[in-house]
Parts: sequence; structure tokens; C-alpha cells
Amino acid sequence: MHNLDNYLNYLNRYSNFSEVYFSGTLANGISFKNGSLSQVSSSNSSGYAFRALDRSISFGATNEEEWSIVKEHLDRVIENSRVPGRNKLSNEGVFKDKWEVAVKRKIEDMALEDKISILKDIDQILIEKKIPMRILSIADIRQKEILVNSEGTEIEGDISKVAFFGVIGYYENGNFEQRFIQLGFSGGYEALEYWDLFNTISNEAEALKRSVIAKSINPGYYDLVVGPEISGIVAHESAGHPMELDRILGREMSQAGESFIKFQDMGKQVGSQHVNVVDDPTIEHSYGYYKYDRDGVKAKKRYLYKNGLINEFLSNRESAGRVNLKSTAASRISEWDKDPIPRMSTTFIEPGEYSLEELIEDVKLGIYMKSYNEWNIDDIRFNEKYVGLEAYILENGRIGEQIRRPTLETTTIKFYSSIDAVGKDLKFFAGTCGKGDPMQGVDVWMGGPHARLRNIYMR
Amino acid sequence: MDAVEAHEFIKKYDFEEVIVRKLSTKTQQVKFSNNEIDITNNWDETGFDIYVTKGRKIYNFDVKNEKDLEKSVINAEKALRLLEDNPDYFKINSEKYQYRSRSNRIIKISNFDISQFTKDFLEDNIKFAKRIGGTIYKKSMELEVVTNYNNFKDLNKSIEFNVRAFNENDIPTQQSFATSHDDDLENIYKVGEELRDHLRMLGKTVQGSEGTYHAVLHPLFFASIVSYTLPMASAYQVDSGISFFAGRLNQKIGSSLFTLYDDATDDSMFGSRIADDEGVPTKKTPVIEKGFVKNYLHNTSTAIKFNSESTGNAGIISPTPWQVSVEPGTEDPKEMIESIRDGLYIVNTWYTRFQDYREGIFSTIPRDGIYRIKNGEVIESWTGMRVSDSLINIFKGIEGVSRETKKVKWWDETMYSKVPYVYVSKLNITKSK
Repeated sequence: MHNLDNYLNYLNRYSNFSEVYFSGTLANGISFKNGSLSQVSSSNSSGYAFRALDRSISFGATNEEEWSIVKEHLDRVIENSRVPGRNKLSNEGVFKDKWEVAVKRKIEDMALEDKISILKDIDQILIEKKIPMRILSIADIRQKEILVNSEGTEIEGDISKVAFFGVIGYYENGNFEQRFIQLGFSGGYEALEYWDLFNTISNEAEALKRSVIAKSINPGYYDLVVGPEISGIVAHESAGHPMELDRILGREMSQAGESFIKFQDMGKQVGSQHVNVVDDPTIEHSYGYYKYDRDGVKAKKRYLYKNGLINEFLSNRESAGRVNLKSTAASRISEWDKDPIPRMSTTFIEPGEYSLEELIEDVKLGIYMKSYNEWNIDDIRFNEKYVGLEAYILENGRIGEQIRRPTLETTTIKFYSSIDAVGKDLKFFAGTCGKGDPMQGVDVWMGGPHARLRNIYMR
Repeated sequence: MDAVEAHEFIKKYDFEEVIVRKLSTKTQQVKFSNNEIDITNNWDETGFDIYVTKGRKIYNFDVKNEKDLEKSVINAEKALRLLEDNPDYFKINSEKYQYRSRSNRIIKISNFDISQFTKDFLEDNIKFAKRIGGTIYKKSMELEVVTNYNNFKDLNKSIEFNVRAFNENDIPTQQSFATSHDDDLENIYKVGEELRDHLRMLGKTVQGSEGTYHAVLHPLFFASIVSYTLPMASAYQVDSGISFFAGRLNQKIGSSLFTLYDDATDDSMFGSRIADDEGVPTKKTPVIEKGFVKNYLHNTSTAIKFNSESTGNAGIISPTPWQVSVEPGTEDPKEMIESIRDGLYIVNTWYTRFQDYREGIFSTIPRDGIYRIKNGEVIESWTGMRVSDSLINIFKGIEGVSRETKKVKWWDETMYSKVPYVYVSKLNITKSK
């Protein structure tokens, strides 16, 4: 705390608001490529980030520790805060707390050779399934962070995360299909059981092989049942992103863009009454779990869309301060040296009351899309596309043959307005959400239940 | 501690090859939106990225603070003993080299005041736009690489400016500027002019229509497409099988007008390097030449595996491209647009995603100026459309290339690139239904 206090005191003499953040991380990674141990690496990173506020907000980051260099850096942070610009932060309470991610099997206790062995076993499963293209990696990170600010907030966090990433490719008769598999968990290596890793990979390989030989559909209007993976990506892209307040206020206008939702749109309808979309950073072991956000505000569950209506923005102190609101504690960073901006954590469509069987039983002709491959969305988060990977035809209430690359190209309003029933199941998927300049990829979960949409154009 | 001292220190341990890469960066950024500065950012960082080997075992670690170096080296020594051979790792370059001197001047760049520029730019341009946002960077990097056989130092600086402006109908356009050479720096003052031209052209937008169109692609758009293409030429990617280039060496995948280089030797851009991470001098490598796949990008190990030669693109494990360069043609951009009887002129794109990396099948979302052209004239601007196509179709459809090139670097979508305008036939457009 010694350096932090000194740095904070120095900034405080010249700023209306000042903040010092320290982070130290130890990270490890192992990769296999087509059966070969390709890379084994570790990373030891630490540094200080500063914010000062006077006529505008100034941010600085350095991993130097020699006082003369740090002082020069702090002087520049102070000087930059005097440049005219935006200079409001929302008023929040003072928090003093320590928090940590609950861990059963510590990262430090997992031997290197055991991690290698896990990847080898997965590779063997894929070899037996005759999957020729296999890039597999496993990574873990342990981070300790401290945040102090001139208002008296002092938060210490201790975070552990484990992640798996795989890319598999398969071809047959000149057709190729690829699958990106990302799994993430806040905690220790009990993640392996949580993920049911070996069965998950085995099932993915089987679905990939079936998709290569599947037939395309005739373009037209179908009822569409989406699985939790599709619910999740849609919730993330077309509810989470457009509800980020900095985006709505234009702070990302020259990069990731803005939002079809305007600040004054609170309460407007974007979907059917069955649609509730939540972002919740407090779900234990979720990949984007936190107890306090990067601004030091206590995390909470947020209803972005409630009963189909726009309900609550994702904001940090900077964006909330601009419009005289309270922060909804969405301030996050990808690494210690990045400026905090509003981000998602775990974004999902809230479950309803139907079983999968009930969702499909009265579908005469439809499509069941379980997973996706290509996807994108425009820079106001309105026009979007999802290309199915594992998908099936639905005929007379039954799941039929697997189909190849059914494509949904629709709008946010059309998607949510077409939902007439929501399943009671709930499953999460990991992702890395990109935003900010410089780019900040943050760990998130996204998910939801199965959901049914009526009369959707598919090709 | 410099990289030579770090190398000496690590060599005392039980390793055969030691590669130390020390990177020191100083970066300033001003970010502004809706005509006002949001934040000024400053980064001062130094770090070591280190590879150690024994036989065909290889381990990589990085440290940000010198005080953590010894502990990390001891861990690396232990870890290396536990590893099995990496059949894809053969050796580090052992040939000794003399390195070229950089040709770019960076005195004006060093003295450029990005805060003042932002203030002046907003004052000069705000009367022409409803609202303006963007980022400007001033970057400085000092790189030092030491191997058992070579060591070199490299230094570069850059100014990078991206700005997006919305017209009175709230329709956006975007321009990008990047340079690492004083001689180009004056061109930053032309960005406002180009932005104003587009703001006038945009008018109101209408929903676009699906179909196949002739199109002129602005350098910002085409740079984005080739920025997704070039990394797939890394021999590591090719070897994995998940690459558009896999199995296509010497095959024709584009028009004879299309030549794509990885060019680390163009010192006027910030992605330039005098040598790669194993000390092999960099060069200008044609990846696609007159429509044929000519080279993959190699480090020493992938070159051995592919029975080829290093192209100076190490990455010790995975070769990496440095900068995009597309061979200019002979045409005038204005005449290229005027030659369109029935088509599109597209400025920028984002969110490019591939459903099939092998065949290069992807979609991307045009933005920042999608002009409908009829009989050589802009008749309206479009919105709500998507390019759903394949790399082969676009590259084979190149029918014209401008003699003018632009240096661009936009956010995470575009590498440091020098790219002309291109005219393509049969660009496939889809939209939401």
C-alpha cells in the first residue's frame, strides 16, 4: 500500500479526484497444434494505473517503479487533466473491502505436466474422431489488484481464472467446417469438472463431422428454436452492447460505434413481453465475475430489457456522471494498463417456463439452431447475422436431420419481437468481448435458455 | 537492465539458446467524441519477452519488472526440464547479420503536439459536421533483440489519427491517417478536407438492396479485408490447416492486377522492423503476386519444415506479418468511380468474420460511406447492408487498381497498411429480412 498511498497523495495535491490502481498477475499458457506441444509460456506482469480529474479526465499507466520516472509520469497525468474536456464522474459511496474468487483447486497446485497431459488426452479424443486440424490451449491467471481513490475507497481483489480454447477443423468430400470452442471459469482447476471437458470436446467433434455432410435448406420463412449458445450471443450483441451508456453517449463513435438505442429511449419496446435480458457480474465462477467494478462500485445484477422494454443501462462513473445518473457498476478493464469503460460481464436471456419438447411440439416446419460459426452486427447493434453450425430441421414437432449453415440475417427488434416462448433451461458460454481503443478484450459469459421465434426468414 | 545484460544473466542458466526481446514504449492518446475531449491517456512501459531452448524444447516467458527476472528464469529452467520435444521447433537463426539503418525521419513527429492538433482540428471542422469523434496517437517504441548470434536495436515513432464525422442527417463517414515519417506528416492536415468531401456527398441514407454489384473499394475498406487475409499466410497458420492459403501455394486466387506484400521495410509506417525476433533482417515479401500465391511467411523453424527460407517474419513460434502493402496500379480513383455504370463505392467496413477459413468465406459490414453509383454519379447513400462473399471471389474480381495509395491504420480492424483503391466486379451484398 506504501507506493499507492504516496502516488495518491501526490496526485491529490493537484486534482479534484484522483485514483491509483495496482495489479500484479501471473499467467500461464500451453498450446498444442495438431498433436505437437507448440508453446509453453508464462507471464509476470505488474504496474500502476492512475486517473486524475480536473478540466478533463486523464489516465496514465506505467510499470516503472523508480520515483523520478513515476513522478514524471504523474506530472504528465496531472498536466493532461487540465486540457479542457469532459470532467464529470457520478457520485458513489465509499467502499472499503477485500474480495476474492472462491477456489477449490488452486492454480498454483496444478503441475505443468498435468496440464500438458490434459491437452494430450483431448488431442487423443480428437484423433480418434479423425479430426485433422486441432489447435488446443489451456491458460490460467492469478491476479491481485488494489484500488484506492481520493474519496477514501480502498478495494483489494484476488482473482483466479482458468480458460480453455480450441479450434478444430474437419473436411470431407471437399466440404470444410470449423469450430471455435472457448471455455472460461473464475476459480481454480475445478473448472475441468465444471466444463465436463472431455465429453464437451467429444460432442463438439461429433457435431462438426455431421455438419460437413449435412444439406443446406431452402431459403424461406421458418419457425426458429435457438439453443442457449445462440440466445447468449444475441443477448450479448444486441442487448448488452447497445445498452452500454458510453456507446449511447458517443464515446465509442469512431471505433465500435454507437447504439440504435438513444438515452431518452428508456421504457421503449424492443421485444415481446417474454423477453428479459440480464447482465449479472455477481454469478459465482462466471468468467466475468467481480464483486467491485474497476471504479470501486459494488457490483449488481442489471435488467437491460425487462418484459421487452428498455430498462437499465450498463454504465461506469464517467458515463453515468455525464447524464447525472448513478453508475450501474459496469466499469471494467482487460489489463491493468487500460482505462476503465462500461462492459458486460454475464449477459443472458432470463429463463421462462417451457421445456425444449414443449417449444418444438407445435412447430410444423422449423429450424433448431444450437451453435453458430460466423456472426456479426452493425455499429449501432441493429442488423445482425448468425450462421448456424450445429442445426437441425424441425418437422411436425420433431427434430429431424442436421442441416448445413442455416443463416439468420435479421434485426434486433425483429429477433426479440418474434420470441413467443422461452425455455426453462439456462446455460452459459465463455467469450472475449472486444471494445475500446486500444482494444480491450474482456472475459465474459453469455447464455440463456432455448427460445422459440415465429416466422423468421432463413437462408 | 538492457537486453544484452539480461541475455548475459540468463545465459548462466542451463539453456542452449536464449532470445531476449526488450520493448520500451511511450504512447500518448487523445480520445474525443461529439466535439469534446473525453480522455487523455499516457502509457510508459518496458518489458522483456524471452525464449529459452534446450535441444528441441522451447519455453517462453515475459516479465514487466526486472526484479521478477531471476525468479522467472529459475521457473523457466525447471519447466524446460519437464517439456517434451516440440517437433515444429528446429533451431534459431545462427547466421550473423549486419542491419540496415532506418530511412525515416521522426523529428517533427517527436515534436508534434496531439492535444493542440485535436483542439485545432475540432475548431476547423465542427462547422462542417453535426458531430465529430476520434482518436489520435503519438507512439514511440525502442526495441532491442539479443540472440546468441546477433543483436540489434530498432526505434520508431508514429502519429496515427482516426476521425469519424456525422453530417446534418447524422450519417457518418471516417478517415484514417498514419505515418512514421516527417515527410508525410503534413498530410494529416488533408484529413479534414477529405472528411468534408464525404460529408457533402453522404446526404441522407436509404436501405440498400441485395444483389451483386460492381464496386470501388476505398483503401480503408480494402486494407481491412487484406488485414484479415495476410495473417493467414503465416506458415504456422498454414501448417495448422485452418488457413485460406493452405494448399494454395502457386495457385491463382486473384486477378493479375492484385499483388499483396508483407513489407516490413517501408519505414514510413509504424509496423516496420529492421529485423525479426530471431535477428533475421526483414524484407518485402510478395504473398500474392499477380494473383498467384507466391510465399508463406516464415521463421527459421517453419522454413525448415516447409523446405523453404526464412522471410524474416519470426515470431519464434509463429511467423507474424508486419505491414500490409498492395501494389498500386495505373488508374485515377475519381475515374474509377466515374466508370461505374451501376454499382457502389464503399469507404470502410468492420466486424469481418469467417464461416470458412479454408475457402475464405466471410461477411463484413460496410460503414462510413456506402455510395450508390449510377452512370458515374453518386445518387444516394446506403445503410443496412452486408458484404457476404469470399476472398477468392473478391480478389479474382479485381478489375482496376489506383496509382494512388493511402497509409491507414484503423483501430483493431486494420493493420498498418499502404493500399490503393480497387475496382471489383460481382461484390455480393445481403441484408436483414
